[in-house]
Amino acid sequence: MLHMARLFVLFAFLLGMVSDAYAAGEILIGLAGPMTGDQSKLGGDIERGARLAIEEWNAKGGVLKKKIRLLVGDDQHDPKQAVSVANKMVNQGIIGMVGHFNSSASIPASSVYHRAGIPMITPASTNPKLTDQGFKNVFRVCGRDDQQGRVAADFAAKKLRVKKVAILHDKTTYGQGLADEFKKNLSRYASSGISVVYEGGLTQGERDFRGILIAVKAKAPELLYFGGIFPEGGLLARQAKEVGLTAPMMSGDGVIDPKFIEIAGAAAEGTYLTFTPDPEVLPQAKRFLTQYKAKHGNELAPYAIYAYDATNVLLTAIAGARQTKGDAVVGALRNLKYDGASGHIEFDQKGDVKESPYIVWITKGGKFETFWTPTP
Amino acid sequence: MLTGTGIWSHASPDKIRERYVFVQQLINGLTVGAIYALLALGYSMVYGVLGLINFAHGEIYMIGAYSGILYFHLLTAIGAAGWPPVSFLLLLFLGSAVTAVGYAVFLEQVAYRPLRSARSLSPLISAIGASVFLQNYVMLTQGSADLVFPTLFPNEPLSWTTVPISGVQAMMMFTSFSLMLALHLFVTKTRLGKGIRAVAQDKTMAALCGIDVNRLIMLTFAIGAILAAGAGVMVGMYNGTVHFSIGFMVGLKAFAAAVLGGIGSLPGAMVGGILLGLVESLGSAYLVSEFKDGFAFCLLILVLIVKPTGLFGDATQRS
Repeated sequence: MLHMARLFVLFAFLLGMVSDAYAAGEILIGLAGPMTGDQSKLGGDIERGARLAIEEWNAKGGVLKKKIRLLVGDDQHDPKQAVSVANKMVNQGIIGMVGHFNSSASIPASSVYHRAGIPMITPASTNPKLTDQGFKNVFRVCGRDDQQGRVAADFAAKKLRVKKVAILHDKTTYGQGLADEFKKNLSRYASSGISVVYEGGLTQGERDFRGILIAVKAKAPELLYFGGIFPEGGLLARQAKEVGLTAPMMSGDGVIDPKFIEIAGAAAEGTYLTFTPDPEVLPQAKRFLTQYKAKHGNELAPYAIYAYDATNVLLTAIAGARQTKGDAVVGALRNLKYDGASGHIEFDQKGDVKESPYIVWITKGGKFETFWTPTP
Repeated sequence: MLTGTGIWSHASPDKIRERYVFVQQLINGLTVGAIYALLALGYSMVYGVLGLINFAHGEIYMIGAYSGILYFHLLTAIGAAGWPPVSFLLLLFLGSAVTAVGYAVFLEQVAYRPLRSARSLSPLISAIGASVFLQNYVMLTQGSADLVFPTLFPNEPLSWTTVPISGVQAMMMFTSFSLMLALHLFVTKTRLGKGIRAVAQDKTMAALCGIDVNRLIMLTFAIGAILAAGAGVMVGMYNGTVHFSIGFMVGLKAFAAAVLGGIGSLPGAMVGGILLGLVESLGSAYLVSEFKDGFAFCLLILVLIVKPTGLFGDATQRS
């Protein structure tokens, strides 16, 4: 008798695990990024952005008359962990995925969602490869590094008019990818005498970059370009000044975070960063920013708005498709025209946004300010 | 700074810049090498007395670095910021050292002493477990984001020297070499040092001669922790940020340095650490920057092929 009871409990438990989404009549949306570790702030930012969108939808009665629940996965910006998180999410029955954050996580995870036919919208992964794989279910609401690299190269050549450039990257899919795109676009200006005088990689998690910076300094570059994320970016800026490298630093959207300024201190001043326009000046972003700040304070969270938009786009597509089947939602996403908080969102053939206006920011007085807009 | 007398004269500007860069890399290597040496001493001493590789030693270093930040804010809060920098720094080191010693002694009591008579694999596994535990403990209590170490020393090259050395580097080298000298004097000249050497040679015999073996083993762990805490505080200042995972790679490299010098040998640990720092710095500067972490282990493999006991492994084996 006892044996039977045990078996029953076990079965009930297993069933509970499998059907926990269906039984509750919920729509499960997945979100994944680095929730712990050195980049945990970035993961937290996208989670807060996505939650805001979901709360708004739930307040209006959810989607397809069901409440929406967010499942959060921690990939620790590790490709292996990302795949395991993706498998877990798929098994738990998510309808769509907002994430992952890092390109190095999104690319391997995307094939898991692809096999399961689940739509995936990343708010932050900018490596071109992600949407160049030809997966119909993969989208992004942020820009691409080839666009970002082009703007950075144009800026270096046309605005800064530098001749000698040093390039460093953190050997990750995102960092090295961005550095490569920058270099590729810079070569278009080779006729005007711009050359790359140093190129090298450093290891993510490393903290002493003096060796490589001294080697960079020996080549006397006029600009140091870095492809990577803020923990390394901040230390690079700081230690560059220490070894007497006076050339300004330039980097991309992985570095634009308040923590960069905290780590680099005064050495952050004058760093150029490519990023999308300031949401503060976008009229359509106003409502989002007011609500976000009321909840989470004034600290800058550059990616929260993209996660908010990605979630809204996904839920709008589910509502439009009137069902939760992956193919139908993906189809709805392809034809979607949505005015988000970050701008107009419409996907092209690959799943990239049609408009992605990168501009150049500068660090000034301990803050990020918009600095230069490329002329089309 | 580039012109003037001494090593910078009689050369073209390009040559001068090249030499300047070389000297700067050399000083970086020495600074980092001195840190490896301090940590390698901890590995080597514990190996000397117990035959155990204390894989949690890197985490003691990490805890030293975190304590540094803690005591920095504590000292600033009680208004010590206005005191002379030397006394501020001494208090900072002292606080971190006491904290690190507490952890190391606790570790010895809990993780190693109960396994002392077990086969050698068990304490080793216990050490790895302790290392993982301490990392996660610090992650949970201090958070997983990078903590910024407040700037205390000028990081710019000192203007009154002709060599490119920064204030913090000068302080680090001075402190490291003082600590090493103090350790050397302690081990060779004092009664307690003699006791440690006796325990390293033969625990049973030492106990028969009336030496309190347990107390001396604890002392060995404590000395290792003091050196590790000093290293942690200095690296925290030098690099600028601290994270719960910093002990792992540095610990591995310091262990490599100890083996390189001949594990159990104190001069070996010092020389091994400094050599490792230099090879890493010059290797990443002149060969491949991407391969920085690899140089330490390549050097280790090379030396072990030629001389399996390490550089100082034979003559002065075991403390």
